[in-house]
Amino acid sequence: MADPPPAPKVFKDAVPRAAPGNYDSIAAQYERARAAEEKDDQERVGGILGGLGLSRREGRGKEEKGAFERLNEVKERRFRGEWLWVVGFWVWLLCIHAAGLYFFTKGFLLTRLVLEEKSTCAEPPIALSTRFSGAGTPEAGCWHPKTFDKAVVIIIDALRYDFTVPFKNSTDNPSQAFHNALPFLYETAEKQPQNAFLLPFIADPPTTTLCRLKGLTTGTLPTFIDAGSNFAGEAIEEDNLLMQMKDAGRRIVHLGDDTWTALFPGYFEDGISRAYDSFNVWDLHTVDNGVVEHIMPLLSAEKKGEWDVMIAHFLGVDHAGHRYGPNHPAMTAKLEQMNGVLRDVVEALDDETLLVVMGDHGMDGKGDHGGESDDEVQAALWMYSKRDTFGRTKPEFRIPPATAKERPVNQIDLVPTLALLLGLPIPFNNLGRPIEEAFAGVKGTAWEKLAAVARMTAAGIKRYQAAYYVAQGVDESTVDGSPKALWATAETTIAGTRKHQNWQEGYTAFLAFQEETLRICRSLWARFDVPCMILGIGILAGGVLALMLYANGNSDDGNAIDDIDLDRAELQLELDNFAKGDAAPLPDETTTRLLFRGALMGSLLGSLLCPALWGMNGSENVLDFGLAVGAISGLLGVLYQDMRRRMSFGNPLPTTIWGWLAVIFTVSQSIGFASNSYTIWEDSILLFFLGTFGVASAFSALRLEIAADRALGIYHSVAFVALGWAASFSKLCREEQMPYCRSTYYASATSSTSAPWQLIIPFVVAAVLPAIIKSFYTGSRSYEGLAPAWISWAFRFGLVLSAIFWTLDAADDGEWFPNLPSGLLKNIRVPIAQTVFALSLVAGSIAFSYAPPCISISTTATPTPGSQITNSSGARVTILGFANANGTRYLLLVTNILLCVLMVQKPMGAGAISLMAWQILTLLEILDLLSLTSSPIGPIVLALLGSFHFFKTGHQATLSSIQWESAFIPLHTIRYPWSPVLVALNFFGAQILAVSAVPLIVLWKQKPRKKGLLRSVVTALSWHVAYYAVVCLATTMWAGHLRRHLMLFRIFSPKFMTAAFVLLVVDVIGICVALVGVRFNTLSVSEVFGWA
Amino acid sequence: MASAGPTKSTAPVKPSLPIELLPTDLARIVSQAHPALLLSAYYLRFPALVADPVSTLLKSLLPLAALQISYAILCLPPVGSTSKPVKKAKPGSKKTPEHSSAKILTVIYALVLSLVSVPVLAAVQVLFGAPITTHIPHTLLSSAHVALLAIFPLIYVHGSDGAKWREIASVYSPIDEVFGASVGSFLGAWLGAVPIPLDWDRDWQKWPITIVTGAYAGYVVGKLAGGWLLKGKKIEFD
Repeated sequence: MADPPPAPKVFKDAVPRAAPGNYDSIAAQYERARAAEEKDDQERVGGILGGLGLSRREGRGKEEKGAFERLNEVKERRFRGEWLWVVGFWVWLLCIHAAGLYFFTKGFLLTRLVLEEKSTCAEPPIALSTRFSGAGTPEAGCWHPKTFDKAVVIIIDALRYDFTVPFKNSTDNPSQAFHNALPFLYETAEKQPQNAFLLPFIADPPTTTLCRLKGLTTGTLPTFIDAGSNFAGEAIEEDNLLMQMKDAGRRIVHLGDDTWTALFPGYFEDGISRAYDSFNVWDLHTVDNGVVEHIMPLLSAEKKGEWDVMIAHFLGVDHAGHRYGPNHPAMTAKLEQMNGVLRDVVEALDDETLLVVMGDHGMDGKGDHGGESDDEVQAALWMYSKRDTFGRTKPEFRIPPATAKERPVNQIDLVPTLALLLGLPIPFNNLGRPIEEAFAGVKGTAWEKLAAVARMTAAGIKRYQAAYYVAQGVDESTVDGSPKALWATAETTIAGTRKHQNWQEGYTAFLAFQEETLRICRSLWARFDVPCMILGIGILAGGVLALMLYANGNSDDGNAIDDIDLDRAELQLELDNFAKGDAAPLPDETTTRLLFRGALMGSLLGSLLCPALWGMNGSENVLDFGLAVGAISGLLGVLYQDMRRRMSFGNPLPTTIWGWLAVIFTVSQSIGFASNSYTIWEDSILLFFLGTFGVASAFSALRLEIAADRALGIYHSVAFVALGWAASFSKLCREEQMPYCRSTYYASATSSTSAPWQLIIPFVVAAVLPAIIKSFYTGSRSYEGLAPAWISWAFRFGLVLSAIFWTLDAADDGEWFPNLPSGLLKNIRVPIAQTVFALSLVAGSIAFSYAPPCISISTTATPTPGSQITNSSGARVTILGFANANGTRYLLLVTNILLCVLMVQKPMGAGAISLMAWQILTLLEILDLLSLTSSPIGPIVLALLGSFHFFKTGHQATLSSIQWESAFIPLHTIRYPWSPVLVALNFFGAQILAVSAVPLIVLWKQKPRKKGLLRSVVTALSWHVAYYAVVCLATTMWAGHLRRHLMLFRIFSPKFMTAAFVLLVVDVIGICVALVGVRFNTLSVSEVFGWA
Repeated sequence: MASAGPTKSTAPVKPSLPIELLPTDLARIVSQAHPALLLSAYYLRFPALVADPVSTLLKSLLPLAALQISYAILCLPPVGSTSKPVKKAKPGSKKTPEHSSAKILTVIYALVLSLVSVPVLAAVQVLFGAPITTHIPHTLLSSAHVALLAIFPLIYVHGSDGAKWREIASVYSPIDEVFGASVGSFLGAWLGAVPIPLDWDRDWQKWPITIVTGAYAGYVVGKLAGGWLLKGKKIEFD
């Protein structure tokens, strides 16, 4: 493996001269494998091959053949055993990576103690400043006289603030589809300021619906860990608005998004509440139509008595954004529908009911959300009452703000506002403040009332703070910058004379207190557990070290010399010894065994010591502690084994330019992730590196002596660079890349649908890609066996189906056939997608596991020069595809994975992935021509390809670039575990394809009976994973180091999370596809040709 | 890790030798002054380059060409005359009018071929990620500068001999002042891309200023290193 054969390899079909004793076996095995198809040829071929063997083995008895077969069996057993050790090591490594990431994440993601305390009606946090009759009862108002008996809360998911304000169309700045489609809110707020107000409503990121609903009901800040649980909501245990409503005996009815029922199980009135599935983003209308259908009857006079608070959650706007982006006619239609619904609701409203309309978050340029860009956090809030209630404290506040930058309120401010308006206690954890417009009185001068509500809210916040410090075990007075002074100022301001002016000052003073406390809380909950983070980083670094030792150890293990005569002599010796009755050669002590034993022993010792150590430091969580000790002691075990083996460390630096290139690519990029610019422009950097490799390989190819090799080398190098460059035109820009980047992945920058011309791409792929793959088979005359049927027919059939699927999808999106019943196109295309998956995963895997090698044995009268062997009787046998028997067969597996990945990519992404597949094949040829198959450069470039095409398939290292809708490609509804798997297959498609192709670097153009293939594959896989592990370690370190950086949650944290998930996915696919595939491949090839 | 042994990457049969400077005092002096002149001229024009890259690059093409031509004529052995470059020539005896016209012809020949290389260099920049729809003059001009720096002297000394150029293109030529300068300017241009993505909002980060700067700096470093430190060595990949 390590040394390339001296012969030119382009048409390396020459079969080595007959090795003694093995052709009987080849014939026998091969006959069996092909028995069904070639009954006629069988005997002849068998006979000829048998003759071959006999030509050398004549005169030896049956016993010898038996010995040969037995030796083969021993070798096969040894291979299976070794394979198990390898898998063991990789599973251990996966655990190390997972453990490292777990500890880092635990310390890194913001944590907040959840307090159990609840506010009660009878116990205000501070004595009431004004007495009123019935104070302390929900009927009159717990902590403040109530304003409304009932409330209708309408949430229009993803209602961005600029959707609601009028927009002046101009030629420089033409209006978009979402402009001026929902004018009702602005109009009412402008014309009847005492009845309505409209304000920007700023969300705390992460801007996912689940996190927002928690914030909107508890009044507290979200912690980052909440973001991950968007797929399955959990009930809220903290004190919240709905809990207070329930305790006060208010009946709550809920309509729409079922996230509410997950968060608040058992809160809603049976019979009249209606929950709808929220994750089917393809469906714009079911939820909304359901809500509209039920909301109007509930507002009617006869049903009004059945509820006190109504929550209606529309999803159509959000889904239109996810599916089409904001600038699409579907968005206009949806907003216009909402406009009409709100108009109707207002008509039906009575005087005692408060109407609140709000967006829980905004959406970015493509209609997605989750992050913290301005467009994602700027939602709209509108409150309405038939009775004159609202006011403005300044005349210029009469007009609603033109942009979300003016007079914004926080989303948590809704909590005290709603609680006080409805006469409920403010939830215990609340950090928000009352919204001024709601309490300022019609004239805008009710300062006393404003001061009272501000004081009550501030007192609640103060009480919460005290409780939080107690729960945390911190003495409040020791905390720097405690806002206590502000509180004291505010109290003294209102304690004096009851002059008008003082109330206003008091109000401002209490607000200052609230603002300061909120600021402190934000920074407090951004407190990181640094030792835990360092532990995680340490484990990850140890993992990288172990991986390097493993890779180096494996590549140092016996550099097999590629010499046919020597091989033959060795085999002869082995066979003779074996036949003499010597015991089978003992299995070698391999690096895998050595290091994995070290890991196991280390972990075992560690877990034995664990109780003792735990007893010493006590306070930690037992499981976490055990995990940490296990991981560290395992790593130490590996280190110990490695130290024991080698007395001195060799030069750890690379010795060739290729090695240096691999190091430069990996390390410079990892260092670059410390800068937000290099993180943002990662795609351009990867293109640059890939170009560098291509140019270097072209230079190197020019040095080849044989003209044909040279031409091929240059051709493949140029093709490699050009293909990457062509793929670079598929772009999905992240916000930070603007204005230097133009998205081409979708129809426009404000859309998430494909342009019609892009639909041609999948058809072109179906026509061309199989032919390209075929050309790489025919290059080594390996288009034999299963390959023609699989690649030209099955694979192409799958690609055509996929193209049809995406056409139907576009037809559905664009409503090309408005007359078709809705859902029909979906019903047609879902089975199509399912067929493709069945073809690639089920049929493909079965075919791969049972397929014979892609070779063909025939006798020819005029054989091709250089590809024949002559047997004793003078007949000639040609084995086509012999020289690439290992690689071509494994490539079948890669095409299965390729088909799967292509299916879940949008048309543009399918083009990019096809270019990537082509690039991988040219890379294999380059590596083979330049004899680089054992250099780390191959696996590293493959990893660069995977990372590069991650961006070319419409992704970025941001939450909002996750294409959630890919969960629905072969399914109608969310189904576990398939939906997350599909999203992962879409998001990490390029990396998955790359890691699946890693064994090809070793196996390509590799003839059967090659020694040490598994070891070489494992080495290549180690280098490949090392790239991701180093990047993951670096991004982890940077995220930890830059934890106070302004761009942490916009750039560094998403990059860290992406790198972490990529590493785990690559580990898993490396084990499940690459290693398993190599096992089947080796078994199949060796069964035919014998074991090395 | 490394595939051991020099396997297939062997040099063409005829060993080629590093280029020696013309054996005159003038050649030695000019060869020393040339990089200093180049760098100081570049330094003086740098503010103008940042302010208006296209016109500055265009206007400085002629001076650069003049500098390179005089360097080539005064210091380097033109193609054909190098059959015995090491042999000490009798001073003065070479200065025949015949030789001067041959040198001028070589200069013109080298200039034309360098011009041909400009689109190729531009294409390489585009493949590395340079903009293709915009900034075309920028890319072409930066390629022209690189061509004058790196390609022109090579053609002047080596002509268009296929075997020699294969050796040059595979970066296997023995390192000398000319070849070292060429490799250096390409590496410099490559490294020049590094600061482009940074969000420092400096004017000098504009395309293609950093690339050209890298090429000039690399040229000088490569020339000095090639003429002294690494002279006669070859670059090995494996």
